[in-house]
Amino acid sequence: MNFVEINKRVEVITRFKARGEPAYLVMPAKMRYRGEDITFTELGLRHPTKKGQRMIHVFDMSDGTNDYRLEFDAEALTWTLATIIEGES
Amino acid sequence: MKTQRAQSLRWGSLPISKEPPLIMHIDLNSAFAMTEQQARPSLRDKPLGMTNRISKNCCIIAASYEAKNRGVKVGMGLVQAREIIPELIILETDPPKYLYVHQKLARIMKSYSPDVKMKSIDEGIIDFHGTRNFINDRPLEEIAHEIKSLLKSELGRWVKVNIGIGPNRFLAKLAANLHKPDGLDIIDHNNLLQVYDSLELTDLPGIARHYEARLNAAGIFTPLDFINTPADTLRHSVFHSVVAEEWYQRLRGYEVDDEPTRLGQVGRQFALDKRTNDDKELLPRFHYLCETTGKKLRFNGADARGIIVWAGLATGERWHARRTWRTSFYTDKEIYERALYLFNKRPRHSPLTIMGITCYNLSPTTRGQPSLFDEVNREERLTEAVDELNERYGNFVIHSLNTLGGKRIVKQKIPFTGTRYLDLLFKDGA
Repeated sequence: MNFVEINKRVEVITRFKARGEPAYLVMPAKMRYRGEDITFTELGLRHPTKKGQRMIHVFDMSDGTNDYRLEFDAEALTWTLATIIEGES
Repeated sequence: MKTQRAQSLRWGSLPISKEPPLIMHIDLNSAFAMTEQQARPSLRDKPLGMTNRISKNCCIIAASYEAKNRGVKVGMGLVQAREIIPELIILETDPPKYLYVHQKLARIMKSYSPDVKMKSIDEGIIDFHGTRNFINDRPLEEIAHEIKSLLKSELGRWVKVNIGIGPNRFLAKLAANLHKPDGLDIIDHNNLLQVYDSLELTDLPGIARHYEARLNAAGIFTPLDFINTPADTLRHSVFHSVVAEEWYQRLRGYEVDDEPTRLGQVGRQFALDKRTNDDKELLPRFHYLCETTGKKLRFNGADARGIIVWAGLATGERWHARRTWRTSFYTDKEIYERALYLFNKRPRHSPLTIMGITCYNLSPTTRGQPSLFDEVNREERLTEAVDELNERYGNFVIHSLNTLGGKRIVKQKIPFTGTRYLDLLFKDGA
């Protein structure tokens, strides 16, 4: 199991559901990182945190092999890929 | 009722309580590890240990069931844990994540009764007395299933919770411990003795090895022996205090644990990232511990009159120094000056491995009463101003220059034993 710090801005397509379980109402669907499209299959947990005065929503995502920590800055409206945990494929 | 109970107690013939089980104990067991496994699917079904800061000397503060089942225990050093499970995954704690889970749990619990007490970041109690109409007389078992399902829906499907229902807090907690993880059990007068018959003394909450030895010495070897022992025997042969009567009632399902806990002391400790006895290395960390202790003290609206400073040495020795002052204090400067005076008396023949500071003799604060001495007033105003700035812009935006090194190294710990400081600690995402 390998933890890789990335901390790079990424492009993300997010799905907002109209109804469903509260934990899964907002979910990043796809991310483009280093020219490659990664499709997420599971949202692990979303939780809020703060960096100074800025509200950050942390999304722990999985594509079925690797886990990704994505951070959405609610003020700057940016997505940052914070870390990748490389799983065993 | 109370008089009757006191009389029965005196005669040593208190029957098992027939109170309906209206106390629900909810416990997110292995909460930190479980939360990480919920967040990161690749960690599921794997042995996982959590620590505050990964270092050679760090210890496991929480472990997943997969790790616990193979012998890893909370409090174990990393080296020892890796000897048991070489492939053990170690993660640093992520406090905002656990605070979010705590808030979700607390919100769900509070939607069922106004009488909810969070015991720690991962467990709490719902008292359903007086709520029968509010919950439409629904059986608590049904509500427990609903809470489990709400937590899964709010947080994720990996989230498991132990729920126990009993006539008092003790039996509700015991019930929550019976079938981990994801258990749901009820203990009442019908099955109480049967449950006790299936357990060992150390399965009872509050009975660890030390108490077990004392009970064994009095000829008490099982929970059934324990409940069958008269209050007098418990008082004279085991506990030698009022604690005996409390256990006598607690075991029978009477409530003795609903008194609010009184704040006795506040403090901080730090297992050193490097073993040293050098002032240059130690003092920034020590000063930071003093400032965080001061914050806790003021957050609780308390003043202190005493300080204990303690340390563990690489030789295995423990050292401490304590002093009580006539006047009370609460500012960071006062705490640091007094603590430093004691810390400077420490032995110098060996590096330190851990150090800590505790303020005791606490009393409600006298802040707001102007002093005759202007210097004191100035210092109090400065402390107030710094606290206000930190309140607004996040903890430790303003702090002593000397603590800069310490702040980078000493990570905020997650309080296990109470929720008193959660609001203070996570104000800025910690």
